[in-house]
Order: sequence, then structure tokens, then C-alpha cells
Amino acid sequence: MTDAEDRALIERIAHRDRAAFETFFGMHGSGVHRFVRDLVRDDGLAEELTSDVMVEVWRGAGKFAGRSRVRTWLFGIAHHKAIDTLRRRRTPTVPLDDLVAVASNLEGPEDAAVRAADRHQLEGALAALSPEHRAVLELTFVQGFSQKEIAEIVDAPAATVKTRAFYAKQRLRDALATAEHPR
Amino acid sequence: MKHEISELLPFYANDTLDEQERARVESELATCSACAEELHQWKALASALRTRADAAPFVPPNVLDDALARINMPPVAAASTKFRTAWWGVPARYATAAALVVGVSAAGIAAWHARDFSGQGAASGTGTADRATRVYRVAPSPLAKLAPKMRINTNALPPAGVAQANEDAAPSSVAKQHRLAKKARLELIVRDVEGALTAAQATVRGAGGDVISLADANPHASDAVHEATVEVEVPAARLDDTLDHLGLLGTVQNRTIDAEDVDAAIVDQEARLRNLRRAENDLRALMDRSGKVTDILTVQQNLSETRGQIEQLDAQHQHDLHRVATSTISIALTEDRPNGAPAKPGPSARIDGAWHSGLNALADTLVSLISTIAWCVAYSPLPLGLAGIVYTATRLLGRRRATAP
Repeated sequence: MTDAEDRALIERIAHRDRAAFETFFGMHGSGVHRFVRDLVRDDGLAEELTSDVMVEVWRGAGKFAGRSRVRTWLFGIAHHKAIDTLRRRRTPTVPLDDLVAVASNLEGPEDAAVRAADRHQLEGALAALSPEHRAVLELTFVQGFSQKEIAEIVDAPAATVKTRAFYAKQRLRDALATAEHPR
Repeated sequence: MKHEISELLPFYANDTLDEQERARVESELATCSACAEELHQWKALASALRTRADAAPFVPPNVLDDALARINMPPVAAASTKFRTAWWGVPARYATAAALVVGVSAAGIAAWHARDFSGQGAASGTGTADRATRVYRVAPSPLAKLAPKMRINTNALPPAGVAQANEDAAPSSVAKQHRLAKKARLELIVRDVEGALTAAQATVRGAGGDVISLADANPHASDAVHEATVEVEVPAARLDDTLDHLGLLGTVQNRTIDAEDVDAAIVDQEARLRNLRRAENDLRALMDRSGKVTDILTVQQNLSETRGQIEQLDAQHQHDLHRVATSTISIALTEDRPNGAPAKPGPSARIDGAWHSGLNALADTLVSLISTIAWCVAYSPLPLGLAGIVYTATRLLGRRRATAP
């Protein structure tokens, strides 16, 4: 769906068009759900947050200024709500000790991720990252945002986004290496 | 490798760099094997994350239902139904759900009792009023699910007082929550079926409805009765007054309304449709990302099946919505006398008829008399001839006896 189509839907939602809201949910509900689920790593909480985000879209559609793409605005709401919830709950990240062993001979974490027959390896390594790092990876490679858009979504300078991406990879590598050679 | 270039590589991998940055990265990649290796790692990571995302579960349908429920509420109420954990440690949504269950059950029980009362009224035979106020209501209780269909015979309704009591027993908002597909039947004895049919069609069209079928049986036998059955559709909101108007066309023999609760079916269809449409969108996204022909074909087949299911379900959904929006009335018309039988005349017609029948009787008598005379005249030669023969024979025999010795 193009940004123009998204904007048309948002305009209709601003006029309290329920059908437009359902269409918008159909188009973006899964993406938002996947994103917040990756951040909070809790199915029930992810459902609540997805509902929260969509209700916020309904309420805030009239205030959407159109300075960014609709998806950027949407994921900004989702990121803010997920991080805010995690901060209030102080949800701990999964410790590295819980990672399953990595059997492959690694050159880098990315190769292991591709080769791994068991997706649990990648899941465990991702769980070891902070929500902020997971958010940057998800927004970059799954949602396909630019660094400028990600900066807007996570409300941080573009330089911070680049640094987070760099360190996310580093930590992913470390997490998988630790899983391969447990101390 | 320059650190700055290294930080740009993930965005080079996801193809979102501007021209200037892209040129810088490509220039570096041409001479830096470490940079190329790192780019390879980023691409591998991107591929792994996308594969993982594709396998992620779809957002459950209840999330949309929850969001839709919340956007219909005022902001304060909506906030109170959010899933947040309340101070007593129970998620607020469970508390809200419990409150709703209690409230709805109470309303349901009240409405069930109300229906019991109307049943008692019918059993006691007090419903002699020809057009009593009708009462029907379906409450969202388990009992209502056990008996989703109900029939109301308006010729056997409790008196108005009981009906009013029933109206008070359950809030109207409970009735409004349910979508009913109503089907009525009206049996009328009419003077003239043709005229009644025309009038019925005019009434129905005046109410914004239309005729959907007509069966007109008018046998020629003199003792047969002219009958017709016409099925019409009217907007659900006009059902009652249309039935009242149609009832004026003749003598009402029977008037019933079947009300079927299709709310659960419609809600279920809507949830399944949303789910299927979401699945369809995800499949489309998947197809866009698939590279192999076999993958594309598999996704395309799934997409085609999903589309078929959506269209089938959507047709059923539209049909059920139409059943709720419009009510069907089956009108059975029967003429009050057999073919050829004269209609019961009024006093002046009866006097007129008596005069005419007297004149007819006189005319018949005269005609009979004249006919008899004519008959006699026509047949007179025969008896006269016979009489002549008998007379001549008698005279001849008398003469012979006189001349005999």
C-alpha cells in the first residue's frame, strides 16, 4: 500500500470512518503486532499494545500533520507505547545463559542465522538484545525504513540510530558466540 | 575500513540511502574487502530477520474486535477497558468482561422472563384483540442461543397491559444489540383476490418494498375458490405498519412473525472475513518478497483459495445483512365465495333483484305458455289425423251394422 493510499485512509479515519479503520488495521495491524511483539516479547502484551496503537491512530488521525509517511508516524506510536510499557514494567531481557547452543562453525552471527536449522538460536540471540537494539534491526530489515525515518520513529538523532544498528550486530555476534562457547 | 562507512552499511543493505551516501559506500566497497564482507553479513542478517518475520503469527482477530469496541466508547470509558493490570492485580479487561457478563446476563434473564409472561398471556387465551401491540425481544443470554428462533402469533397476544409490563422488564438497548431476520405471514379472506392483489402491491411499494414472487390459482370449476399467495419484501422498519395496512384488505385469519437472531452469524462472518482479508494481505506481501518461481506458485495458489473463501463468505454475509435490513411477508389471499356464486347483495340490490326476478318469472311463464301453444299447434295435425281416422272408421262400422240383416 502506498503512502498516498495510507493518507487517504487516515483522512477517512479522521472523519470517523470505521470501514477505513478496519482496512487500515488489515493493512498494518500485522506489521505493528510483529514489531511490538519483538520489542516486548510477550504475546498478550503485544496484542494489547497493537490495540492501543490502533486506537491511538483512530484518535490522532485528525492531528496527523503529514510531515512524514503514515507508516513512520504509525511505527513511532508503536515504538513509543512499547518502550514506555517496558520501562514501566521493567521487563528483564532474557539472559544469555538461556540461549541454546550454537552448533555451527561461525564466521559471523549473520551466517549462523541463515544456516541455523533451529530458529531458536536466532530467537535466543535477539532476546539478549535490548528493546532499542531489536527495534532498530526490525525497523531496518523487516519494515525497510531509512535511518532518518528510524530516527523519527525512535525519537533519537540519526547518528544514534547508526550506532545502535552497529552495536546491535556486535551484540548479536557476541550472543551467538557465547551460546556457541558457553562459559 | 572506515567506521563511518561501516555504520551506513545496514542502510545500504536495505536500499534506503540517498544518492550521495550510496556513492560513498560503493566507492569504499570497491576497494575494501572487509567492507564487502561486512555487507555480506548484514545482508545475511536481513534475510534471516525477514524469514523469521514471515513465520511470525498473524495478529489475532480479537485485537481488531477490541480496538473496534474501544473506538466506539467515550474516551473515559475506553480508557477504563484497556488491558492494563489494575491495582488489585487483575487485568482490567477481565474485570470489564465480568461486569459485562453480569450486566448482559441480568438483562437476558429479565428478557427471558418477559417472554415467559407473554407466553402465559397467550396460553390463557386473552389475546382476542385483532391488532394488539406486539412484543418480541431476543436477549443475549445462553437461553436465547438455545432457542434462536421465536414465533409470535399476533392473533394470540397478551393484553396491552401485559405487553407494556414486558416492555418495562428489559431495557430497549438489549433488543437493539441483536440483529433479527424477520419473516411474516398474513392470511386474508378477501372479496376479490384480483383487487386485493393490486392493493397489496401498491401498499408494499408505498412502503419501499417490492414483490418477489406471486402464485395465483384461479380454477374454472364453479365450486373452486380463487386463491393467491404473494411474497413481498419491505424494509424491516416498515414491517409492522405494512402488516397493519395489508390487514385492512380483508379479514385476517392468521398473522405470524418469525424472528431469527442472526447476530451471532453476522459477527462470526465479519471476524472470519477480517481474518481472511488479513491473511490475503500477508500472502500478497509474501508473494512480493518471494523470489523462487515455486514459492510464488505456492503463494499464488493459497492466495486464490483465500480469495475464493472471502468471496463465498462475503456473499453469505451480504445475504444475512439483507435479511436483517428487509423483512419478508408472505400474504395468502383467499376469495370468500366459490367461482360463479353471487355476492351477497345489499337491501336495494335485493329489492331490485326481487323485481327483476319477478319480471323474469312472468316472462318465463309467458314464454312457457306460448311455447306450449306453439308446440300444440305444431303437433296438432297428428292427433287430428288420428281422430279423423277413428271417426271415419266408427262411422263405417255403424253403417254396416245398420244395413246388416
